[in-house]
Amino acid sequence: MTAPRPYALLAELTYRCPLHCPYCSNPAAVESAVPSGQSAAQSATAPDALRTAHATANNGELTTDEWKRIIRDAAALGVLQIGFSGGEPLVRRDLAELVRAARDANLYTNLITSGIGLDEHGLRALSDADLDSVQLSFQSDNADLADEIAGARAHQRKLDAAAKIRSAGIPLSLNFVIHRRNIDRLSQMIELSETLGAERVELANVQFYGWAFLNRAAVLPTCEQVVRAREIATAAKARLAGRIDIFYVLPDYYETRPKPCLNGWGQRYLTINPTGDVLPCPTASSAIPDLRLENVRARALDWIWRESESFNRFRGTDWMPEPCRSCPQREIDFGGCRCQAALLTGNAATTDPVCTLSPNRSVVDEVLRNTNPSGDYRRHWIYRINQWVR
Amino acid sequence: MAEISEGVEPRLAKGVRLQTDSATGKSVLLFPEGIIELNETAHEILSRCDGRTLGEIVRALAEEYDMDPAAIASDVRETLADLRQRNLLQLI
Repeated sequence: MTAPRPYALLAELTYRCPLHCPYCSNPAAVESAVPSGQSAAQSATAPDALRTAHATANNGELTTDEWKRIIRDAAALGVLQIGFSGGEPLVRRDLAELVRAARDANLYTNLITSGIGLDEHGLRALSDADLDSVQLSFQSDNADLADEIAGARAHQRKLDAAAKIRSAGIPLSLNFVIHRRNIDRLSQMIELSETLGAERVELANVQFYGWAFLNRAAVLPTCEQVVRAREIATAAKARLAGRIDIFYVLPDYYETRPKPCLNGWGQRYLTINPTGDVLPCPTASSAIPDLRLENVRARALDWIWRESESFNRFRGTDWMPEPCRSCPQREIDFGGCRCQAALLTGNAATTDPVCTLSPNRSVVDEVLRNTNPSGDYRRHWIYRINQWVR
Repeated sequence: MAEISEGVEPRLAKGVRLQTDSATGKSVLLFPEGIIELNETAHEILSRCDGRTLGEIVRALAEEYDMDPAAIASDVRETLADLRQRNLLQLI
């Protein structure tokens, strides 16, 4: 089928990161992982971890010039927005230079960061490069819990980073990753967002890919928690309307219809990983191992987007099996998430099992039954607030 | 929501950019995690949100399109209120 034009590029500059969050969506096979059993919280203060990361690897990461070429090529393809992500993008010393290159290509630039490693000098460079906005992640409002989740003493540094970003006048979004251990503190997290003066807050429940898939039993909230959190988020959204934009993202296992993942495969988004693989979605390389990825070092970005097998594999509706193929929702949710289908059924070309019409829905139900031993989780079905369609 | 008064200066909210999408030639608003393609009316209004008041914007549009300002004013108010609702616009 004919390829549409892409709108947004996620540039994963590095997989290096000073944090060790157990729900990270990076591929779970990345070498810098802390072996299980070793408690990262005790072993690594953030600067130590940063130094270690620098010492062990730039191996294979795209160079500054390669990223600049990618940015120009992406803009020529139609991309309007770029997210600089990772890993922790601040460990790249050329970050401000890449932001400048993206602004020169007329892209909207967003830095997606833990805030660790953001010093005055670096922030000034980013500000001088006309960075459009920063999305800062938080693990909790509570320092002890946040540091335990991050596996590093990170929370105070994040608070400092938020204050610096505010005083530099750069628009600030906060991203709280929500899961079983911190979901009961949603009110306090919203209060922290008010204190820090954020313009936008994402309260995003963990989605189950990468490390989060491995840790699912520990991080999936109960139905009761999810229902209560939604009430809190809805009330806060109304109370703060006009001051802070609040987005609450449900864990989709509690949905009855799948999320319209990526707004369709190969329709709007592309991701480029640290070594130049071009992905229809950031989690595709680990979730769909037989996806033949193309690399920007070997092929033109334009060709990869339009012609490659990986981008065309689930583009449009031709790939769909039943019940999607004849479903009136097929161009609304696009059959859900290919990575989730692959992780839960072993076949990426099946209906996302979150959908109650999927013949594999029992896989999700089984997980929920183990999470909610008292049963009754079905009584509480609640529906996704969609973040992108607005 | 109360009606937006004549003397208000509408401005794009912090972090929101108005630019031309070179792929389509159309105007777009860019903001964190979002893109909105603007219709002709919204483009004409937003490209004049440069420190002018609502009253001035309405008069400029009325002159440009040779229309009755009263007829234009409600369209402009509606567009601004919608963008305000989405936190994309500040009313100063």
